[in-house]
Amino acid sequence: MNSVKLRKLVLPLALAACGLSASQAGAAVFVQCPGDTNGDAIPDTAVDPSVKCVHLAAGDGFSTMADGKVVYGFGFADITGVAPADAINTGLLAANFSAPTIELKEGDKFYLTLTNVGMVIRPDLFDPHTVHFHGFPQQAPVFDGMPEGSFGVNMGSSVTYFYNVLEPGTFIYHCHMEATEHMQMGMLGNLFVRPAQDGTPIAGYTRFAYNDGDGSTGYHKAYPLQLGSLDHNFHDSSEAVQPLPFAEMRDTYTLFNGRGYPDTVNPGALPTPLDPDSGESKNFGNQSQKVSSLVTLDRATEGTRLLLRFSNLNVTNYYTVTALGLPMRVVGGGAHIARGPDPDGAGPLQGKDLYYDTGSVTLGGGEAVDVIVDTAGLPAGTYFLYTTNFNYLSNNDEDFGGMMTEIVVQN
Amino acid sequence: MNTLLHILPRWLGMAATLLLGGMAGTAWAVIDGVSGPTFNLTAKADYISAADGNYIYAWGYANGAGPMQYPGVTMIVNQGDTVTVNLSNELPVPVSIVFPGQQGVVSSGGVTGLIEQEAPAMSGGVPGTVSYTFTATHAGTYLYHSGTQPALQVEMGLLGALIVRPAVANQAYGHANTRFDHEYLFLLTEMDERIHDEVELLVAYEQPVNVDTSIYKPEYWFINGRNAPDTMLEPDTPWLPTQPYNSMPRMHPGEKLLMRVINAGRDLHPLHTHGNNIWVLARDGRMLESAPGTGPDLAFSDFTLRTVPGETYDAIFEWTGKGLDWDIYGTNLAHTCNGKSIGQAQDPGAPTYDPITKEYCADHGKTIPVVLPNLQGLTTGPHYSGSPYLGQFGNLTPGSTLLNENAGYFHMWHSHNEREIVNNDIFPGGMMTMLIIEPPGVAIP
Repeated sequence: MNSVKLRKLVLPLALAACGLSASQAGAAVFVQCPGDTNGDAIPDTAVDPSVKCVHLAAGDGFSTMADGKVVYGFGFADITGVAPADAINTGLLAANFSAPTIELKEGDKFYLTLTNVGMVIRPDLFDPHTVHFHGFPQQAPVFDGMPEGSFGVNMGSSVTYFYNVLEPGTFIYHCHMEATEHMQMGMLGNLFVRPAQDGTPIAGYTRFAYNDGDGSTGYHKAYPLQLGSLDHNFHDSSEAVQPLPFAEMRDTYTLFNGRGYPDTVNPGALPTPLDPDSGESKNFGNQSQKVSSLVTLDRATEGTRLLLRFSNLNVTNYYTVTALGLPMRVVGGGAHIARGPDPDGAGPLQGKDLYYDTGSVTLGGGEAVDVIVDTAGLPAGTYFLYTTNFNYLSNNDEDFGGMMTEIVVQN
Repeated sequence: MNTLLHILPRWLGMAATLLLGGMAGTAWAVIDGVSGPTFNLTAKADYISAADGNYIYAWGYANGAGPMQYPGVTMIVNQGDTVTVNLSNELPVPVSIVFPGQQGVVSSGGVTGLIEQEAPAMSGGVPGTVSYTFTATHAGTYLYHSGTQPALQVEMGLLGALIVRPAVANQAYGHANTRFDHEYLFLLTEMDERIHDEVELLVAYEQPVNVDTSIYKPEYWFINGRNAPDTMLEPDTPWLPTQPYNSMPRMHPGEKLLMRVINAGRDLHPLHTHGNNIWVLARDGRMLESAPGTGPDLAFSDFTLRTVPGETYDAIFEWTGKGLDWDIYGTNLAHTCNGKSIGQAQDPGAPTYDPITKEYCADHGKTIPVVLPNLQGLTTGPHYSGSPYLGQFGNLTPGSTLLNENAGYFHMWHSHNEREIVNNDIFPGGMMTMLIIEPPGVAIP
């Protein structure tokens, strides 16, 4: 632990030294956000209300599996609001798993700054990082975060990605640097865009998955649920500076939003991961698993229709999930409404509805599906949402855990 | 490196060529294969190269007396053709071919197999033979493979693509909404080397080929028979004599690229197209249409195509950079959109896109609203031109490799089950290639 503490102290100094020697703004924490005057990624002066800024740190940290196993990983932390001088210190050993959820609205001009804070546990790795906004339409390589066709950002530096957000839907984001490794290590998060139609009352709804024109994708409450899984042997090898077993990769923990059942139904953030020997935090007190997967719906006050924004960002398997006792209606996928091609562009016609009712959905890595669950007329109670790949319904050796959560329908 | 080259001025000279050449029928040639309607295939053994330097014993359908190849010959026929496939078998086991999606396949010669007539094993230096005939009644993208002990023989490489073209050129099917400018094949497979090693030993020692195929742990993933980065080499590269096909999709902004996707492996593969969503027009050689004649009105849009073993898909990819809110051709170099220079307003009612460059004119002259980091803060990739702008080169770190001849936009197309984009324990590789969006004026075969 002492060496880790030392590294936490030394790394920012080393990175600061790099910044001092730089002649341009690139090799330092450099946040770009219109209207922001102090670099904390929050506009200080009046700006176009469509401007949205986020500052993410890319680094490392630990997470706790539902059987108590603590695993090392890479990830992102939300350091929006942190002054540039404190950005690296704040981002160290602060990796979130899942990554911070990014919520956007159609029409946003999204400025996403990524600062590479370095790896405290793996100082021998000087890996760059990226953000790949997966599914962003009409993308150009410079902001795609696919480093073979553009670039990754080095330790101690920042890049600001710009996205003119025109398409609603459920997207995902992840690091694309050495993608198999950095994604297995956990640099994965939810990202969705609410449609311009939101706020317009149609068919009794004011919130919609897509610009449907008829309220057919309307809902009362939405949850992003990212399917995932990890191979703890791969993570342990990384922590122990061993060769990485790509060919032997076999995921042992399955997850929703970075947690296995029953941790999925903890409504808050999980406590900071603890060293089993010393009892001290492995992350210097930082919490890493902040995204709950507990779905609740109070029909007396909230309404009856749920939108479940499913995505899958594991790197090994397809998973099927079912919501036992609840109807599922697929209304979109791949950040597109489930509708055929528009026959006349801006004209009055629209594509054919491809919605379908189902009891389960299957997703491979990099897929997203929008599911409406209408609870009207159904008894109140706790419903289970889980993978039907039962061999994966576990926390490693511990049975009946993993990719499962609860949908609590009240009254 | 300080090569502020640009090829923008080429547009002026090449614009006329582009207008004439852009619609020409050259796109037909991009899928390498053999045109029918009669094919002479030979099942034989040889080695293929994995991109990590390994070599693997495999079986494949060669073109006549040509080398064994993986995948087998891509057979290209026209809708309505009477297709004849004569199979000659030089392997020590019986072999056959089945044609999923084709009706009325008639076999002649050979010996009776479980689901199809088979060419017997080579005996005394004499190959076994069998022939198949069918009428290609429906346009589309199809898989063919061995129907004899397929768990083993398809794994060994006895598979290939069959492409049936409709009467109208540059269409996937007999409807105008399936038109394309370029077409590419994406035949997805994987291999478990253990099976190949065991078969190689059994054949070498003339033992019965009994191998357990129920335990399956692939280490190699392929597009058109190659692992990345070999996918991006030229076709018919001399040092890959048994892997003639590449996967190097290229297009210009505003064009339609037809993806003919076949999952010929055991596992599902999620194929992710960086750059934009695709429209999936057809599955298993049948348009997604609500009624005959409507065209693909049941097509769906997605950013990751779920490919299921044995299924085929036809999808259209388009890209213009529309709505990025900055000028993809840059504001540092003079260029026009609908004849208007940077800073000049568009005429009322002007076309959405420039007729030649396909630039989205609403974004014409807009600067990128952020400052890019200097090179010190970046690790650039080999396909980055050094500039965010299409058709421009920029500064790169000294010693950088630049694998981007025309300052095109490179988008990775790959399996998003990302353990499949490695070659055994080496990243990157596997089921991955790059789409190149080339600047206007760059010739694409």
